[in-house]
Amino acid sequence: MKSRAPLVWFVIGLVCLACHAATGTESKGYSAAALYNAANAYARAGKPGLAVLNYERARLLTPGDPDVDANLRFVRESAHVPAEPRRWIDSLVTVARPAVVASLGIAGLVMIGAGLLAGLLTSRHRRTRRAAMATGAVLVSFTAINAVLVLPRLHEAVILTAASPARATPVPMGDPLFVLPEAETVSITADHDDFVLIRTRAGRSGWVSRANLAPVVPSR
Amino acid sequence: MSMRFIQRHRLLAIGPSAALPGFRAPHFSTPLNGGKLERRPDWTGVFRTGRKNGLSGFTASVFITALAVVAAFLLAGAPAFAVTPPVNATLEPSQITLGESAQLTITSSGRGAELPKLPQVPGLELRIVGQSQRIQIINGAALASTSIMVRVTPQTAGVFTIPDVAPNSEPLVLRVTPPGGPAMSGKAGGSGAPGAGSSANGMRMAADGAAFVRLVLPKRDIYVGESVPVDIEVGLRDGFAKPNALPTLAGGDFTLNNLSHQPEQTPRVIDGKPYMVLTWHSVVAAVKPGKFSLSVEAPLTVRIRTRPQRDSMIDDMLGDPFLQNFFGASVTKEITATSMPSDLTVLELPVEGRPPDFSGAVGSFKIAGDLSSKTAAAGDPLTLRMHVTGSGNFDRVDSAMLEHLDQWKTYPPKSSFKASDALGLKGEKIFEQPLIASAPGPRTLPGLAFSYFDPNTHRYETARSVPLDVTISPSAADGSLNVNAPVPAGTAPSAGSTATAASNTGLRPDHAVTEAAAATLVPAYLQPRFLAIPSLLMLGFAGGWVGLRRRVYGPDDARGGRKRRASKGIDRVIRDMEAAARAGDAASFFALARTALESLPRTEHKTAPRIEGEAALRTESEAAPPAELDPVRLEDGLGWQKDDLRRFFALADEVNYAGLQPTQEEFERWIALLRHASQRSTLPPATGRARESAIEQLS
Repeated sequence: MKSRAPLVWFVIGLVCLACHAATGTESKGYSAAALYNAANAYARAGKPGLAVLNYERARLLTPGDPDVDANLRFVRESAHVPAEPRRWIDSLVTVARPAVVASLGIAGLVMIGAGLLAGLLTSRHRRTRRAAMATGAVLVSFTAINAVLVLPRLHEAVILTAASPARATPVPMGDPLFVLPEAETVSITADHDDFVLIRTRAGRSGWVSRANLAPVVPSR
Repeated sequence: MSMRFIQRHRLLAIGPSAALPGFRAPHFSTPLNGGKLERRPDWTGVFRTGRKNGLSGFTASVFITALAVVAAFLLAGAPAFAVTPPVNATLEPSQITLGESAQLTITSSGRGAELPKLPQVPGLELRIVGQSQRIQIINGAALASTSIMVRVTPQTAGVFTIPDVAPNSEPLVLRVTPPGGPAMSGKAGGSGAPGAGSSANGMRMAADGAAFVRLVLPKRDIYVGESVPVDIEVGLRDGFAKPNALPTLAGGDFTLNNLSHQPEQTPRVIDGKPYMVLTWHSVVAAVKPGKFSLSVEAPLTVRIRTRPQRDSMIDDMLGDPFLQNFFGASVTKEITATSMPSDLTVLELPVEGRPPDFSGAVGSFKIAGDLSSKTAAAGDPLTLRMHVTGSGNFDRVDSAMLEHLDQWKTYPPKSSFKASDALGLKGEKIFEQPLIASAPGPRTLPGLAFSYFDPNTHRYETARSVPLDVTISPSAADGSLNVNAPVPAGTAPSAGSTATAASNTGLRPDHAVTEAAAATLVPAYLQPRFLAIPSLLMLGFAGGWVGLRRRVYGPDDARGGRKRRASKGIDRVIRDMEAAARAGDAASFFALARTALESLPRTEHKTAPRIEGEAALRTESEAAPPAELDPVRLEDGLGWQKDDLRRFFALADEVNYAGLQPTQEEFERWIALLRHASQRSTLPPATGRARESAIEQLS
């Protein structure tokens, strides 16, 4: 038993480090409530673009907040922007906050590793070990699915101006293909100088000036 | 309709001179000698002058020559004019101070004027001082008019009526006030300046009557902070004086506000001399209580006579400063003219009865209030306005309006002032205060109040406005906005409350900021620094798994991998052997079998017991197996029976060299033996628990 102590402490230390990284906070940064309140203020001030942007940011921090979803839906409807299509698998993202999801993934990883190590140490409790490893695999899978679903949202942006032309080429004189309404959420697929290539939820692509939109996750 | 004016004056015009911006020199008519001409009874339209005090030498001769030229001009033109009765008469100004003169202008149509018969008014002296003609050409028709100027000089103060000047005009009224109040005086700048002040008709003039400064105060008792309108008059005899700067107050006990840069300009005849009077309307305010003497100073440039007093009459007769300067009769000098000091008593505002909201406003005010809208939604801003009108010191008019009000969020008001006069003494000051209702329902805003001191009643007054009703409807954006009661920290709204507050038509309420701020919006499981944690975990578990496995299976467990790989190779060979057996290819079969035997791991040799003696000799005599194969050890390691290995090689030689064709049973027997040997070679080490169980299963 004495020889197993360093390994146990190593695992415990890693778990603590993971939990700290998952729930780590700083004095300056983003607060879901503050973003939500700012979005409400923008909505009241008649700025749907900024309101949707802050709602989207708040939703990244608190995916399951019904107030954020309701107000976001209300502002989009008020701005005559099509609502975001929801899939059944998207509900997995709203189950828990990202920090909790990350902690669950770490916990699942620990359960799998511990089950493997226990199988080498003893041949007893085989069912318990297998159940723990299965649960760990489910948790890791849950975290991985969350990551896959959330990853595209990190490359989204919100149109902030009333009528932003999407052009065929990334130059100001490019032919406008279509016009994006304020508060519409688009995906950024490429960038070139002062233009970004966006794709709408309807599947249309065009180059939009950077000044006309703001990314949901600001680049540092 | 075109109109053209042609005006011809028979009188000399005095040239303009001005230094102040906006000052425009007057152009008015005046007699040649400033009212000192002596007119004879048989006046026929020609000025005839006589020598009163004696003109001598060259000056007199030049003057007489000039008069002769003028007289010839007038005589040549006079007979052509038709004589018409007077049609209009004006008197300007209608109110003067004793010592000043007014001008009566009698206008007749036509190109000639009959000498009017001046009325006799007790206490007034009327004297004709000039005549002018004007010709208007309207649509080609010439219309001429003639004006005769009469100087009216009062002898006493009072109200005088001048009757029957013109048939169609009303009797003219002249009001003459005594000169007791605003006196006129002057002091020359510098020591021993000439013309330090003179007196004419009870008035002290500066620089021998070239200018005067006068301060007109409406009252003598004022309060601290009270704004009192004053008139500052600077009289300049045209051509003899001009202003250099704006007038200022002497002393620092008063402030002079709103002094305009554009003074009013009024021609006025004082003591028979024409003056251009510049009038500044301003406001003075006292800064501290007490008794003070208030006066006004005005920097001027004046022309001072250098001739003896007895020759000044010539200058008066010449009139024109240009002519005076031409004959070397005067020089210019800068002086500061000062008005007569006016005594003022400044009273302190009483402490008793002073309202708490008194801001220092002194005057007479009224207030009124209104709202930008009588209906609003909760959370929407309204503007409450308070209009303060009246007269007084509006710069001290201030109000906080509504500071604290239940169910309302109030903000500090802003004010703007719109003056209705040039002095800023009268006007309207508007206070605008933003208000936000926090709850719906009918509301009543209380009346506004404004306190001031009324100098007329000598007490504090409070003006009030009527209460205002307003209807607050529920907020369309946020029904639960509570601006006066923010959500305390640590009390996040519950899901139930937010659910009830939710509305499909509005926004849900704000959240209390209780959580700590996150460094980034990227979820933790997508952050690079977080991904290092599971990587380290997996590495740790892998290391632990390897370590534990080494502890369980011992250090020789590393060879197991090689054995398993070798076993897989033997299995492939055995499958090829089976194919060769099915094909009846004995040579290939035994070649493959030899390869399989050579591929078997040889670790078992160390553990196998060594066979000595006869067996060893027999093996050496059977000189068929390869040198590296020890038959006794191999048979033991392979689990074969005794002589199986020797028979195998012997059979292989027969197949290769004698063309022996073994039966299928023999093929299968050798395949079974090789498979058995392969399974034994992959067993765990001899000391392991797994080896024991494996041997049992294999057996």
